[in-house]
Amino acid sequence: MTPATSAATAGAVPRASGVALDRFSYDDAIVRKFLFATFIWGVVGMTVGLLIALQLASPIFNLGLEWTSFGRLRPLHTNAVIFAFAGNAFFTGAYYSTQRLLKARMFSDALSNFHFWGWQAIIVSAALTLPFGFTQAKEYAELEWPIDIAIAVVWVAFAVNFFGTLVKRRERHIYVALWFYIASIVTVAILHIFNNLSVPADFLKSYSIYAGVQDAFMQWWYGHNAVAFFLTTPFLGLMYYFMPKAAEGPVFSYKLSILHFWSLVFMYIWAGPHHLHYTALPEWASTVGMLFSVMLWAPSWGGMINGLLTLRGAWHKVAQDPILKFFVVGVTAYGMSTFEGPMLSIKSVNALAHYTDWIIAHVHTGALGWNGFMTFGMIYWLLPRLFQAPVYSKKAMELHFWISSVGIVLYVVAIYSAGVTQGLMWRAFDETGRLAYPDFVETVLKLMPMYWMRVAGGTMYIAGMVIFGWNIFKTWANRPAKYDVPVIEAAPLTKKYVEEHPVVPANGLWARFNQVQWHRAWERAPMLFTVLTTLAVIVASLFEILPTFLIKSNVPTIASVKPYTPLELAGRDLYIAEGCFNCHSQMIRPFRYETERFGEYSKPGESVYEHPFLWGSRRIGPDLAREGGKYPDLWHVRHFENPRAVTAKSIMPAYAHFLTKSIDFERIQSRVDAMAMVGVPYGDAVNKAPGMAREQAKQIAAAIVEQGGPAGLEDKEIVAMVAYMQRLGRDIKVTSTASKVTNTNSAATANGGTN
Amino acid sequence: MKLSDIMSYAQLSFYTEVALVLFLGVFIAITIRTFMPSRSRELDAASRLPLEDDVVLTPRVAER
Repeated sequence: MTPATSAATAGAVPRASGVALDRFSYDDAIVRKFLFATFIWGVVGMTVGLLIALQLASPIFNLGLEWTSFGRLRPLHTNAVIFAFAGNAFFTGAYYSTQRLLKARMFSDALSNFHFWGWQAIIVSAALTLPFGFTQAKEYAELEWPIDIAIAVVWVAFAVNFFGTLVKRRERHIYVALWFYIASIVTVAILHIFNNLSVPADFLKSYSIYAGVQDAFMQWWYGHNAVAFFLTTPFLGLMYYFMPKAAEGPVFSYKLSILHFWSLVFMYIWAGPHHLHYTALPEWASTVGMLFSVMLWAPSWGGMINGLLTLRGAWHKVAQDPILKFFVVGVTAYGMSTFEGPMLSIKSVNALAHYTDWIIAHVHTGALGWNGFMTFGMIYWLLPRLFQAPVYSKKAMELHFWISSVGIVLYVVAIYSAGVTQGLMWRAFDETGRLAYPDFVETVLKLMPMYWMRVAGGTMYIAGMVIFGWNIFKTWANRPAKYDVPVIEAAPLTKKYVEEHPVVPANGLWARFNQVQWHRAWERAPMLFTVLTTLAVIVASLFEILPTFLIKSNVPTIASVKPYTPLELAGRDLYIAEGCFNCHSQMIRPFRYETERFGEYSKPGESVYEHPFLWGSRRIGPDLAREGGKYPDLWHVRHFENPRAVTAKSIMPAYAHFLTKSIDFERIQSRVDAMAMVGVPYGDAVNKAPGMAREQAKQIAAAIVEQGGPAGLEDKEIVAMVAYMQRLGRDIKVTSTASKVTNTNSAATANGGTN
Repeated sequence: MKLSDIMSYAQLSFYTEVALVLFLGVFIAITIRTFMPSRSRELDAASRLPLEDDVVLTPRVAER
C-alpha cells in the first residue's frame, strides 16, 4: 500500500486491544538495495547468456581469447542469473514481506547490510574467478572453496537475521510464505555445505571428497534441489505474498498452500537422480528419482492453480494491470515447467532428451517465465511503495511485458526444436543398420537456424530488461527528497498463547488427538518448526544417499582401473579449468546408438578415481568417455590449436594457448597430494610427481615430433591435455593383462601403458 | 574393516522403504489435519495476513 492509503487504514482495529502497543518502522532501505542489485546482475547475467548463445551460433564470438570461451563463460551465465539475479530478487521480496508478515523490523540492520554487501562481493568474486578457469566443475557449484566458505558465512548471517526476526515477531501465526522461506534457507545451507566438501590443493583449486558415482549422486542431489530450493520455493513464497497483494484478495485456498508446501518439502529432495538416468548410477536410485519426480507434478500444479485462482473475481483487472499480467504468465510458466519436469524424468523420455537442448529449453521456460516474470511483477508492484512515487510509465511496463513474452516464445520454441532434432538424429539408423548421422558435427550444424532464433529471442528479453531499467530509474528519479517512514504499531506477543478461536476439548483420547492442538503448538514455535523441516530434509537425503556410499555392491570395482598419472592429472585439471565438461559428456549410455557412435558403455567402476566426476550433462560436442587412442597425438595438437583445421564446421573454441603456455610441473605435486588425501592410491607419485610428469611429457612430445608435428612442446600444456585425452576410457580395455590385486602402486605402472 | 564393509553386511537397503512409509504417514497426517473443519476459521484468518500487514500510526519523515 502506498503511504496515502495506508494512512487511511491507520484507524484499523488493533488486534489485541487493552495491551500496550509497540511502535516501530520497517527497514525498506535494504529492500531498495537488493532491488537495484537484482536489476544490475540481471542485465549482466543475461548479457553473458546472449554472448554464449552467439558463441554456439558462430565460434567467432569466442573472441579468440582464452578467458571468453564458451566453457568458461557458461558457468558465469548460470551463476549470475541463478545466484545474482534470482537470488537478489528473492532477498528483495523476502526482506519486504518478512518484516510485514511478522510485524517486526529485521532482527539486525547490521546483519541485513552484511548480507547485502557479502552477497554482492561473492558475485563479484565469481565474475573474477570463473573466466580465469578457477572452477570445481560441478554445475551451479563451480565456485572454488574460499568463495564457498564465504557463501556459507553470508548465508548463516542471513539465517540468523531471519530467524531472529521470527523470534521477536508480533504476529502469532507464521504465514505460509514464510514457511517457504524457512525451507529455502535451511535446505540451501545443507545442500551447499555437503556438495562442496573438498580437499584444497592450493588457494583456488580443490578436489571433491566424493568420487565418480557418489560425486554424481551428490552433485545432482544438490543440483536438482538448488532448482527446488533456490528457484522454486523462494519464489513460491513470494507468490503467496505478492499475488494476494496485487490481486487485493487472499490466496484462493490457504489449505491447498499448506499441502503444496509439505508435499514439495517431502518430495523434492528425492528427485535428483532423474538427472542421471541410464548413466552408471544404480538403477534403483534412478527409479526412485523418477517416481518422486512424477509425483511432484501433483503439488506443483496444485500450487499453480492456487496462484491463478487467487485472481478469482479480479480477472478483469488482468487486462488493465501489467503487474498481474506478469504474475499470470509467471505462474503459468511454473505450471508448464513443472509439468515438463516430471515428463522429462520418465526414463524413456529422458533417453531422448538427456544431453540435448531440450533440457536447456525446459530450464529457460522456468527461468525466463517463472523466475523472471515473478521478479518483474514483484518489482513493479514494489516501485511505488519503495520509491514513494508512481511507476513512471505504464506503457513501458506493457511494452516490457510483451517484448519479453515474445522473446521467451522465440527462445523456447527454437531450443525445444533443437533438442528434439538432435536427440532424434543421434538415435537414427539407416536401412543397413548403421548410424544415419555418424558424423557428430552434422547433428550440431542442423541446429544453427534454431541457435540464431534463440539469439533473437534472448535479445528481445534483454531489450525488455533495458525498458525495465529505464522505468526503475525514472521512478527512482521522482522519489521525494526524504522517504516517509511510516510508524507501525502492533502488540507484542504475549508470553502465554491465548487461543483466538478456542476449541472445546473433546472427549476421548482419539478425538483429542484429532483436534491436533499439539501440532498447532508446533506451528507457533518457529524454531521447532524449523528443526522439524530440517529433519525431514536431512532424513530424506540420508535415506537416499547413504546406500550408494556404504553398500559396496552398488559400485562394483574394476581391477584394471588405475589412477591418472601426474601428467594426465595436470591435463584433467586443464580440462576442468577450460570447462570442457560443459559441452562434452564422459558417460556413454547403454543404448546401441550410443555404443555404435562412441564405444563401450561406461561402467560405475570406471570412475572410482574421478574427483570430481566429469560425466557432463550436455553434448554440444561428442562424448569423450572412450576418446583415448581414437586419434594420433598430433591430431589432438592440431585440433586444439584450431578445431576448424580438422573439422571444417566445428563450433569448438580454439585452444591455441595450450601450445604456448608452460606447465608448472612443481605444482603438480600438491595436486597429486590432494588427490591422495581424498583416497586415490597414488603410491610413489606422492613423492616424485613432477619428475614422473616430465618423463611422460618428454615421451609424448617425442611422439608428436615423430608424427610430423612441431618440436619443443615437452613443457607446454598441450602435452598434458594430449596425455589426458589419450588416457580416457582405456583402462577397461586392458582387463586381460590386469592382475586381480587391488593395486595400490598403480600410478607408476599406469604411466608406461597409456600413450 | 572399513565402514563400508560393516554397512554392506548390515543389509540396510530396505531402509529406503521404511523411510517412504514414514514420510507418507506424516504427510497423510498433515493432510487430514489441514482439512479438519475445526481449523477453517483459523486458516481463513491466516490467509488474510498479507492484506493486513500495514497498520500505520503516524507517517513520519526520516531516513533517506
